[in-house]
Amino acid sequence: MQINDTLKPTEVALLYQAHHSWLSGWLRSRVGCSEHAADLAQDTFVRLLRARQLSPLKEPRAYLSSIARGLMIDQFRRRALERAYQESLAHLPEAEVPSEEDRLVILDTLARLDRALHQLKPRARQAFLLAQLDGLSIVQIALRLGVSRATVERDLAKALGVCYRLRYADA
Amino acid sequence: MPTPDSAPAQAQVDQAIDWLVKLRFDSPCPRTEQQFQHWLASHPHNPLAWQRVSHLGDELAGLPKGLSRRTLDASQRQHINRRDHLKLLAVLAVGGSLGWAAREPLGIPQLLADSSTATGERRRLQGSDGSRIQLNTASAIDLSYSAEQRRLQLVRGEVSLDSNPNDNRPFRIDTRVGQLATLDSHLLLRENDLGLLLAVRRGDVTLFPSSASPRRVLPGETLQVWANGSFQAVTLHSDPWGWTDGVLSVQQMPLGEFIAEVARYRPGLLRCAPEVAELKVSGTYQLADTGQILQLLTRSLPVRVDYRTRYWVSIGAA
Repeated sequence: MQINDTLKPTEVALLYQAHHSWLSGWLRSRVGCSEHAADLAQDTFVRLLRARQLSPLKEPRAYLSSIARGLMIDQFRRRALERAYQESLAHLPEAEVPSEEDRLVILDTLARLDRALHQLKPRARQAFLLAQLDGLSIVQIALRLGVSRATVERDLAKALGVCYRLRYADA
Repeated sequence: MPTPDSAPAQAQVDQAIDWLVKLRFDSPCPRTEQQFQHWLASHPHNPLAWQRVSHLGDELAGLPKGLSRRTLDASQRQHINRRDHLKLLAVLAVGGSLGWAAREPLGIPQLLADSSTATGERRRLQGSDGSRIQLNTASAIDLSYSAEQRRLQLVRGEVSLDSNPNDNRPFRIDTRVGQLATLDSHLLLRENDLGLLLAVRRGDVTLFPSSASPRRVLPGETLQVWANGSFQAVTLHSDPWGWTDGVLSVQQMPLGEFIAEVARYRPGLLRCAPEVAELKVSGTYQLADTGQILQLLTRSLPVRVDYRTRYWVSIGAA
């Protein structure tokens, strides 16, 4: 058995031949739109090319559908965020509505922040939001959450670490 | 030396993040800044790690605070509700969902249904106790049941509760402005800019405002409860129950107010020019098609509808 970091492109090509149409069908039955399903199937194989995989796949279809499910949930989150963003924009006075370009940049940053917040425990999430969006200092956050300064510093560092990974590694 | 494109090692990144926390979120003393400069020069990878980390810090600091807060809160809440809902699925039989969320191309709302609605969506739920609940547009609730009591929390938006009179556990309802308790009632709660609107159709409700003495609310009454806990009976230009039948029903309502009502059901911006805001609107309109509502206005009033984009619509003088 060959030990490799990722699957070889030839292996992925074989998987593609054997399972692509099955995966498209599986996705179509879930998203209800064949074009959208085709895009997701494509993204699934792209993800597979980059995935770390040490041995040949034992259950290729289970593996493919779990990647595809992750992609659907990512999209669902992004959609939920976009919806929340549109609604929030609607509440702004016209003068404060950012330009089209700024709107997209902000949305992108918010999407990453949203994903990061999901990976954090509630206390770290709260500390990070208090620091980042409410402008509270470490001392104020420590008082508010009833924990030590050092704990707040650790929480903030953890949160920034997650943001960093999403910003530079998973791009 | 690293090439500019190579990623700094994790250890350097972690240290850079610790510095960012000290320098940005605390008021650093001159000594701390000195130590930071020393750190920066102490390893060839440190400047690159710092450059990336501080760039990330700048991006986050540049977010408009209010807009970001509101967006993230709304988005996180949808997720939290979804998680809670997985637990609730066992007790809730989800009825047909109305409005155009059903037309979302991605069928995930069915996959990950929750006890909240998107803008323009209305939904009926049935609690495990047999109570009937309706959620209006952009609303969210949490429901929980124990041996002693039934609880509903209005997280945001508007809800109507038609409790099952055959269940004798008290219902406790939590809102931003205080609590309500009832044994059996058909009531409606709506969060608004001023606080909360409470209307009772059947039964007997006791309002416990956050900072005033309790008050019994009887069928036919409609109260506005202010954020500070005081309250007042009100007469409205619209039927607060209309949406539970899918309509917006208004009498002599100023156009500005009417447009604000319609805007609740539409994603994006919907604005009314001040010069037409005082025109009066009467009639019953189908909420399922807000585009048609706007169209109908142009027939009965001297106004026109400008579509800058689908999500940016203004009503002005014709």
